[in-house]
Amino acid sequence: MRASTRKAAIAVTAIAALAAAGCAESDRDDSGGSSTKDTLVFGVAGDPKVLDPSFASDGESLRVARQVFETLVRPEEGGTKPTPGLAESWQPDAAGTTWSFKLRTGVKFHDGTDFNAEAVCANFNRWFNSAGLMQSPDVTPYWQDVMGGFAKNEDPELPPSLFKSCTAKDPTTVDLAFTRVSSKIPSALMLPSFAIHSPQALQQYDASNVTGTADDIKYPAYAMQHPTGTGPFKFKSWDLANKSLTIERNEEYWGDKAKLKTIVFRTISDENARKQALRSGDIQGYDLVGPADVEPLKSEGFNMLTRPAFNVLYLAINQKGNPALAKLEVRQAIAHALNRQALVDSKLPPGAKVATQFMPDTVEGWNPQVKTYDYNVEEAKRLLAAAGASNLTLRFHYPTEVTRPYMPNPKDIFELLSNDLKAVGITVEGIPLKWSPDYLNATTSGSNHDLHLLGWTGDYGDAYNFIGTFFDRPKDEWGYTNKPLFDQFQDADTTADNAQRVEKYKALNAAVMEFLPGVPISHSPPAIVFGKDVTGVKPSPLTDERYSTAEFK
Amino acid sequence: MSTKIDKIDRLSELSAAKDDERGVSLWTEAFRRLRRNPAAITGAVILLLFVIVAILGPILAPFTPTDPSGIREGVVKSGQGIIPGPTGDHWLGYDHQGRDFFSRMLVGARQTLLVGVISTLIGLTIGALIGGVAGAAAGLGGRVGRWIDVVLMRIVDMLLALPSLLLAVSIAALLGASLTTVMIAVGMVSVPVFARLLRGSMLAQAGGDYVLAATSLGVKRNTIALTHILPNSLAPVIVQATLTLATAIIEAAALSFLGLGNPDSAIPEWGVMLADAQPYLGIRPGLAIWPAAAIIVTALGFTLLGEALREALDPKLRK
Repeated sequence: MRASTRKAAIAVTAIAALAAAGCAESDRDDSGGSSTKDTLVFGVAGDPKVLDPSFASDGESLRVARQVFETLVRPEEGGTKPTPGLAESWQPDAAGTTWSFKLRTGVKFHDGTDFNAEAVCANFNRWFNSAGLMQSPDVTPYWQDVMGGFAKNEDPELPPSLFKSCTAKDPTTVDLAFTRVSSKIPSALMLPSFAIHSPQALQQYDASNVTGTADDIKYPAYAMQHPTGTGPFKFKSWDLANKSLTIERNEEYWGDKAKLKTIVFRTISDENARKQALRSGDIQGYDLVGPADVEPLKSEGFNMLTRPAFNVLYLAINQKGNPALAKLEVRQAIAHALNRQALVDSKLPPGAKVATQFMPDTVEGWNPQVKTYDYNVEEAKRLLAAAGASNLTLRFHYPTEVTRPYMPNPKDIFELLSNDLKAVGITVEGIPLKWSPDYLNATTSGSNHDLHLLGWTGDYGDAYNFIGTFFDRPKDEWGYTNKPLFDQFQDADTTADNAQRVEKYKALNAAVMEFLPGVPISHSPPAIVFGKDVTGVKPSPLTDERYSTAEFK
Repeated sequence: MSTKIDKIDRLSELSAAKDDERGVSLWTEAFRRLRRNPAAITGAVILLLFVIVAILGPILAPFTPTDPSGIREGVVKSGQGIIPGPTGDHWLGYDHQGRDFFSRMLVGARQTLLVGVISTLIGLTIGALIGGVAGAAAGLGGRVGRWIDVVLMRIVDMLLALPSLLLAVSIAALLGASLTTVMIAVGMVSVPVFARLLRGSMLAQAGGDYVLAATSLGVKRNTIALTHILPNSLAPVIVQATLTLATAIIEAAALSFLGLGNPDSAIPEWGVMLADAQPYLGIRPGLAIWPAAAIIVTALGFTLLGEALREALDPKLRK
């Protein structure tokens, strides 16, 4: 049944593609001649993986999800702090393990059903009771990141679930119970992966029926063609053959209705092609602007938005890769060898900063007094000699054919850093690999790597989302086990009082920079650009831009 | 496909020396004609300059080509779209990594020449080996020989059927990105051309009277092939080698451009420099124009000389 539907779908899209190609000229004339502009075509770098954000962690899936779906708690516009979303207010109990959410009234899903406490619990229970392939870390990445495990863990390696139960006390009150206090609640509920779906649509389109194998996952119809949320836009169509996805204004939206009727996300994977498409007017905006293009496009009058730098780029050091790297002096020598200021000044967009620790200073818990490692070639040489590692050869992995918000030009950054390392007498063996899956596999698993470049864009405004993600447990990326440090993380995570927790984060940042598992390099502000006549979108550090406020001047 | 083979075969037939035309030595005559050909002189001058730059480049270069001095001094901010252009010190300005571009152009010539020459040598050696064996076997080896020839030539035809860049990319993808890979890939692409050419040329010679004479005198077949037929069949191969140098340089640049070249792009190579210039075309087009022009001019030099050489060695055009 499914196969035949898919074949039919392919046939239909193929015919549509032909038809579209046939009348491309006249189409263009039509749109050019229309007087009311109500469609924004936005260029994106890749196709979304899936439209059900429960299964997504890639930026393109989440970009669509953020327009179609809403979460209980949502980040303030242009910031990282939790503000009311589908919940108007929330309150933890005295123990800090049960959170009571007061829900917004008068909200309807796109399929016309009511949003209420029952619907919220249906969603949480769906995630919590995931079974089979839905327990794969590739399928439910954010649930596992935040909650750990499930009701019944099928893999014994999975930690117990942080989530315990959901109770609908009355239609507008919902209680979420957790097994322990965690710093992640309520901030993590801002993640699009915790967006609330229509229970009826979930059931109708078999949303939890993930099939296939771990290497070849097949998502159900709901996740590919029928995402149903409460957001300001409704999903209209996703044409994989033409690489375009269309969403339409939700006329029954509970809040301020979207200003534009239609938004089309068109995939243009090449950065230069996106730039040319913007210049020629084929698209009216695009994301992941190359740093070198920021100034030229700005001076041409395009509406360039710079997001606050809510990310970190770091040089990871794997202590299992080369025995010398387990020595603190060697890691300190590497830190002193790198001229990070020159790198930031020359390779990153305006507004980028050298990182002193593994999180940006906009997050509470940033410590102004961590140990810093300034650029000092002599000191680096001295430390290497003291550690007996003057004749060091290190493998240095770097990714190719990729742009990340924190890392606009990996090859250039690699070249500069390896030049710095060579200057202190370290022999560098550069290993370029394709970003996905080769590079990510090679650097985050096994121990066959010494140095590599990687980074992180924050999901929500809590320090644990940065430093906890990297350092709170043994990871192949870093190759060390440091029980006291892990315990310190556990302690901070389970501290309910915010002020106390922030102090513990500061201590953690200091401890991490003493231990120096890697070298934080920079925080850089990624840019997003819109056409000369497009206004209304506010850049978000979380890349949570809201297209509902976009309009043509 | 077959026309390509026919063309090569015909070329080798035409340009193979005819034994009865010996008066002045073939090479003396060819050289005399080359000197009178302005295209040949132009090509030769270009190549001479290119070779001098390639050999002396590192000495001539005013700055270390791998040193990102522009970034250290804070004048190059490619992340913000600032790459200073030519100045008194830096004749072609800086590249995107703050390195002196003029020095990189000079030093890059060596890599380019190295790739061109070595890959042509690889192609020439393997191609001549296959073509020589096939030609000798077909001409002198009787029935078994013809079978050897057929088998070898079908393999060569298969290689010839693949578009050259596609073949090079496949080889490079198999071996992983490195400068050696580029040399091997580009070399392999020219193998079938050399093989076909030498075989055809040797076949044309095998029917010559001097071969018949040597055979009737009882000279061993191996000796005839190596000392009589082979030297007389080399002219078209040498012409082809000169022309191949031109395409090899272009193909090597293309592979580097596609990211299959030397992963350590700190060592300058024109193709890599061209690829690196892409994001900065809008800011400083010179970063792409200079290496592109250098590649074109060098390839032109080889082509001019190769064509002139072909004309000079062509017995049909002899006076």
